[in-house]
Amino acid sequence: MSALGAALAFGLGGIGAAIGLAIVGAKTIESMARQPEMAGRLQTTMFIALGMIEAIALLGFVLAFVLNAG
Amino acid sequence: MTEKIGHLLHELSVLPFSESAAFSLTNYTFWLLVGIALMIVFFVVASRKASLVPSGIGNLAEAAVDFVRNGIVVDVMGPEGKKYFPFIGTIFFFVLFNNLLGNIPPALPGTGTVGTTFTWAIIVFIVYNGIGIKKVGLGRYIKSFIPSGTPGWLAPLIFLLEIISHLLRPFTLGIRLFANMYAGHIMLGVFAIFAALAIEHFTPVGAIVLPLSFLMQIILRLFELAVAVLQAYIFTILTAVYISGALHAGEH
Repeated sequence: MSALGAALAFGLGGIGAAIGLAIVGAKTIESMARQPEMAGRLQTTMFIALGMIEAIALLGFVLAFVLNAG
Repeated sequence: MTEKIGHLLHELSVLPFSESAAFSLTNYTFWLLVGIALMIVFFVVASRKASLVPSGIGNLAEAAVDFVRNGIVVDVMGPEGKKYFPFIGTIFFFVLFNNLLGNIPPALPGTGTVGTTFTWAIIVFIVYNGIGIKKVGLGRYIKSFIPSGTPGWLAPLIFLLEIISHLLRPFTLGIRLFANMYAGHIMLGVFAIFAALAIEHFTPVGAIVLPLSFLMQIILRLFELAVAVLQAYIFTILTAVYISGALHAGEH
């Protein structure tokens, strides 16, 4: 049962983060195509956003381990 | 399979060298010290033959330092952030060297344990709040949590949310780096287990799985190298963003 919970924690957490990453990536590419001279700053901002979204998926990952251990 | 994965997780857990001593080196702190030693050796060797036109290792070190200085510090904080470059540069190279060291097989990444990453995250938390309080004073710094123009009845709620988001920062900062390093090594281990199982029970399915898992090992190694650099970059840039936010706390 806890294994199922762990799988759900990581899986559902992953879905949300994947959608978020896709939106960030797509919008950054779009913005870079529109304004290539802003590419450097857009990239920096993109990495900040990626890092924050990624943390959500990784919280699910850590939670999965905690559930599995318990 | 379960037994092999249990063995893998045991290998990646924090194991003290001596069970009885109160303060013992663990497998992670040992490699952490190796990483720090490598970092010091690298920069000492690079700066020993300092010249106007560096070559070889000095060139590499200069490009890396220049990247942190201009690509992270000045880019995020502007010229006034230059005095925080030593702090941010230390974080970057500390994390980078330990992340990369974890990719050499017997070594473990020093950053692959919560002890290291949360220590840095808490240091960052104290430093950026300290910078903000020093710049504008405690009263104004706390007041800056509520943006000007917020209606009075909404202010307590915004204040509470802002406090929560500040307290979550060190937590996410620490967990991101730890989980990335830890998850990467588990992925590598899982594909190694697939390969081992395919050799153990050699069936037609195993014959397909075996080369695929070897291929995945190579791909994941390259991916891990990229992740090691990227995570050092993200940890550093978030630190710079937090300090920058604290510097401009009283301006709105």
